[in-house]
Amino acid sequence: MSGPQNGFPALKIEKLKKTYKNGFRALDGVSLEVGAGKFFGLLGPNGAGKTTLINSVVSLARPDSGTVEVYGKDAFKEFREARRMIGVSPQEINLDKFLTVEEVLIFHAGYYGVPKKKAKDKAAELLERFGLVEKRDHRTNTLSGGMKRRVLFARALMHDPEVLFLDEPTAGVDVELRYKLWGYIRELNRGGMTILLTTHYLEEAEALCEDIALIDGGRISAQGTSAELKERYDARNVEEVYMKVIGDASN
Amino acid sequence: MLLTDRTFRTLLSREVLRFTRVWMQTILPQILTSLLYLVVFGIALGTRIKEIEGVPYLEYILPGIALMSLITNAQMNSSWSVFDAKRERYIDEVLISPMSNLQIALAYSLGGTLRGVVMGACTLLVGIPFVGINVENPLLLIVIGVFASFAFSSLGTMVGALATRIEHISFLTSIVIQPLTFLGGVFYSVGMLPDGLRLATFFNPIFYTVDAARFATLGISDLNPYPTLGMVFLISVMAFCGAWWAISHGPNLRY
Repeated sequence: MSGPQNGFPALKIEKLKKTYKNGFRALDGVSLEVGAGKFFGLLGPNGAGKTTLINSVVSLARPDSGTVEVYGKDAFKEFREARRMIGVSPQEINLDKFLTVEEVLIFHAGYYGVPKKKAKDKAAELLERFGLVEKRDHRTNTLSGGMKRRVLFARALMHDPEVLFLDEPTAGVDVELRYKLWGYIRELNRGGMTILLTTHYLEEAEALCEDIALIDGGRISAQGTSAELKERYDARNVEEVYMKVIGDASN
Repeated sequence: MLLTDRTFRTLLSREVLRFTRVWMQTILPQILTSLLYLVVFGIALGTRIKEIEGVPYLEYILPGIALMSLITNAQMNSSWSVFDAKRERYIDEVLISPMSNLQIALAYSLGGTLRGVVMGACTLLVGIPFVGINVENPLLLIVIGVFASFAFSSLGTMVGALATRIEHISFLTSIVIQPLTFLGGVFYSVGMLPDGLRLATFFNPIFYTVDAARFATLGISDLNPYPTLGMVFLISVMAFCGAWWAISHGPNLRY
């Protein structure tokens, strides 16, 4: 995984706005740039707009206005190319209940145009990597929550995405799996994959992410490297930065 | 590109796997139901109506019963498939993939089409030894079966995409499709109906598919067969446009 290396940022979002039908303004002109190969953390309270932002990039949410580019490809006009470069591990578990674990992975690859032989090899690699070999023939609705989460991760990686969105990936995951996952994600990032992570675990974000953006009320409140943010807000860690930026805003 | 695209073929094969994997639920009971229709209606009504337009009654109703099975299965398959995927959110995986809305709507609709055609063919094959008919124009029957199945499978895709509650799906099956099937000339010729009911039958899309299938199977029909074939084609195009629109704009799909 080396990324397209075409000189464009992995993700370029400009003035993205989204108001839901119930009047809730989820994104209020968000502009954001994620450099190629970066490990990027998007932090914010519930309802801040994190998931809407991710969903807007892959057209699961329909933004009212604004532009999104993935490695220079317009995410709406050139959606095939743009979406092919993105893998999403969603916050909510959404596995196809009719399929076995291995089928979920192979069908997912097919949805992204990966040839079957290549998909089978990749599935074998990821089943091994995520400790799912014994569960390969089990239907997904028979798995435990932790196992389902592993399948979601593996699924997101099946088509070798250039950019990986991890939306609250460690919610409900035990400590051992969490450490294993982070080890693997770090490895992928070192290989050139751009990672955009949303999480509530601030110490995790600080340990993993090179760049961090804080989002609140559909707006980016602060952005920079963790060192820059700590210096700017005179804080000892990202948690303090978060409390100063988000906490002050809520008060 | 549209049909050969691996992304599209994968979703279509998933749709086929869905109904073949649980064939004990999706195929077997439906064949039994069709047989029961044939036996119960054939025997009960056959004692009173010996023949219609010179054709023995059981023979007369077989194409319609096959169509009934085809239509019910086609619409049930795609409506439940889309609704289930939406309710449990695994449709997101498809929506965020590089597939276009057109490809998604087509894959779901063709999956149901295939189940409808398989079920219609099974009903006909199971029924033929009881009734003993030779299909007049098998090729035409296949074309009609495919278009009728595509039309009602597309309707199923549309309703599955628009439905926000499980009752909406049941509504389509029990309140719309089933009564229209019974009133679509499966068990009688529209020539036997009073004027008002005959006129109402012309607004029932199922009537055109049944009449066309009867023409292809037995060589008899209530209407001039060629405009009827055109109508079946038109219904399937309109239904698919509805399915495409619903996949593109349906509630709880793309927010």
